[in-house]
Amino acid sequence: MKDVMGVVYTGENDARLRELTITRAIAAMPVAGRFRVIDFLVSSMVNGGMKNIGVIMQKNYHSLMDHLGSGKEWDLHGKNDGLHILPPFLTRENVGLYPGLLDALRSNNNYLIRSKQETLVLSNSNIIYNAHLDELVNFYKDTNADITLMYTKDPTMKRDEYGTYIAVDKSGNVTDIEVQPTHPTYDNTYMQVFVIKRELLIELVDKAVAHGMHSMDKDVLLRLVQDKSAKINAYEYKGKCWQIDSVQSYFSFSMEILDPKLRKGLFRDDLPVYTKVRDEMPSYYGDQAVAINSLMADGCQIEGTVENSILFRGVKIAPNAHVKNCIIMQDGQVHEGAYIENCILDKQAIIKRNARLIGPSAYPIVIGKDVVI
Amino acid sequence: MLRKKTCVAMLLAGGQGSRLGILTKDVAKPAVPYGGKYRIIDFPLSNCTNSGIDTVGVLTQYQPLELNSYIGSGAPWDLDISNGGVFVLPPYQKAKSGEWYRGTANAIYQNIAFIQQYNPDYVLILSGDHIYKMDYNAMLNFHIRHGADATIAVRPVPWEEASRFGIMNTDSEDRIIEFEEKPKNPKSNKASMGVYIFTWEKLYKYLTEDEADKKSSNDFGKNIIPNMLNDKQVMMAYNFTGYWKDVGTIESLWEANMDLLENPMPIDMHDKKWRIFAKNPGMPPHFIAKGATVSDTLITEGCEVYGNVNHSILFAGVIIEKGAQVESSVIMPGSVIKRGAVVRRAIVAERAVVSAGAVVGEDEGNIAVIGQGITVPAGASVPAGQQVDESYTF
Repeated sequence: MKDVMGVVYTGENDARLRELTITRAIAAMPVAGRFRVIDFLVSSMVNGGMKNIGVIMQKNYHSLMDHLGSGKEWDLHGKNDGLHILPPFLTRENVGLYPGLLDALRSNNNYLIRSKQETLVLSNSNIIYNAHLDELVNFYKDTNADITLMYTKDPTMKRDEYGTYIAVDKSGNVTDIEVQPTHPTYDNTYMQVFVIKRELLIELVDKAVAHGMHSMDKDVLLRLVQDKSAKINAYEYKGKCWQIDSVQSYFSFSMEILDPKLRKGLFRDDLPVYTKVRDEMPSYYGDQAVAINSLMADGCQIEGTVENSILFRGVKIAPNAHVKNCIIMQDGQVHEGAYIENCILDKQAIIKRNARLIGPSAYPIVIGKDVVI
Repeated sequence: MLRKKTCVAMLLAGGQGSRLGILTKDVAKPAVPYGGKYRIIDFPLSNCTNSGIDTVGVLTQYQPLELNSYIGSGAPWDLDISNGGVFVLPPYQKAKSGEWYRGTANAIYQNIAFIQQYNPDYVLILSGDHIYKMDYNAMLNFHIRHGADATIAVRPVPWEEASRFGIMNTDSEDRIIEFEEKPKNPKSNKASMGVYIFTWEKLYKYLTEDEADKKSSNDFGKNIIPNMLNDKQVMMAYNFTGYWKDVGTIESLWEANMDLLENPMPIDMHDKKWRIFAKNPGMPPHFIAKGATVSDTLITEGCEVYGNVNHSILFAGVIIEKGAQVESSVIMPGSVIKRGAVVRRAIVAERAVVSAGAVVGEDEGNIAVIGQGITVPAGASVPAGQQVDESYTF
């Protein structure tokens, strides 16, 4: 796999994640108690043998850069290749904000040209999966395709008005692509992950941008399928995946991984997930603590009741506090006598003594970073 | 040429720690797990990093494999730097001789070349036997301020126990006037912690002389320190009053773990300015299932609890199955306590399995120990104080 590189694009639309993405990209969203969305993608790439990984940044990328650092946690700090953080910058042809993936790739043309690997895996960053990407690349090579798209048949991945759907024939070739249909016709959701030859990608991007185009799906992939000018096939990802594109989908993903069976699909012994380490001590449960069906990271101090919830690192739950169906990010606190249900507390949020906050399960309350209630 | 260092640390990690019984059968004592996610050596290494000492030699000899792979590049302690860092120093063959480390002083003597590379002014000698947080830089400043040739860290011990320790008798200015190993009638209660700072020039002289003395047992406590005192060198006692725990026996290792469950904790592990770093196994958060009960317990990443746990410490990846009962115990990484098993006042070492319905330990008496990788068969029982390894017949 030495000859494969990875590129992650982190510029997805995040409006439906409300306050949670004010200060961070979706890729930097804290998930599963001690991870960020991007940890799963970068770890999959590293586990798949990729040693040159570029992360294209767009908005609010400070949090993401801070998290990735030198790439040490993913063993990406070597002399050759390693992690490349690609922030937007102002040049003659780039004004900072990318209208689409094509523009983002075009402005990082030099990085793509300088890279040595023959094959490239490109992934968006708003779908969480933990895949054997080496199997995807082997499929691509074995079938002599020009481009291989990765897709899933998971019905929970379908979204009206969002997403890209593909038709696949018996031999695995892509025969049609639907981009953001109001009602998708096909059950195959394209996971925004594909394999391509690096030089072919450079060529396609250059041509498309020169013709004023922005969308990879509509302006490149769909056209190639319609013209039949390239062999585009598809690889089915059979594992579990989750799209993080709204507060609701973030919340339901979090509640689902409380199920040990679904969690095993995400955390697999053969595919470890790496993240930035915080060196907290183990979590402490007091004499009165009650914990039911919950995931807790290190450094928590639990004296009250925690039910169907996820606590990130360093969270404090005081005696007689009750937390139900909640996600509490790093260093959050729930003080004595408080009751919260269906809430998402961003980092360092504090719920003071005896406060009561109950959100509807279909539309959880989001408490912003550093907010005190 | 490497850049000069003010102070280089040498960590003596070669001892077997035989008083830890089967826990150190396959690993060196400094690599023994402690406190849910640490190993004993994380404490001196983190103290070095937090004290600004970035060059550490770790002298290994006994069962070094696990310790070597744990230390790796030194990255968890920020000791993976180009000028300095952490180095594992096993004994090696030299042109004229090749031999094991004969004593603590001989171990340093054999690594004089390592120390000389950095041309240090001072050398800090540490051991990998204790749980404590200490600012070595403050001790170094004390050493420099007093123009000392050697400074020995001491801590007050109860008078009635003083005859079990190496005791430093000092004058009113904290200058050491006499050193007594396990005195019958102690004149002071200042016990040596095995943490020394030497002015390198002096230590070099005494190490060389000690090596030439064929009758010497090449030990800091027995030879180097008494010799320096006889020669009226400036020897200072540095008083340390923080938490300090020897974890040299099964009982003291168990007690030191249980100390972390005290409220307030006698050693502040939440201090963000003085973190204890450890290699991270990269596991998901721990999971507490419906029907499980957990109280007065420390739990870390990768654990899954379906049963009942009280007053215990669970290391990474431990699984407590439904109906299992764990009480006042230390369960080390990757071990599984199966359905209906009962574990009381016990240490279960790494990757052990206590099968369904088995009973380990008792409510009173000594601590029971299950060795690394051992499976306690279903329904078996292990009495208090029993150590179980491959040779044990159930």
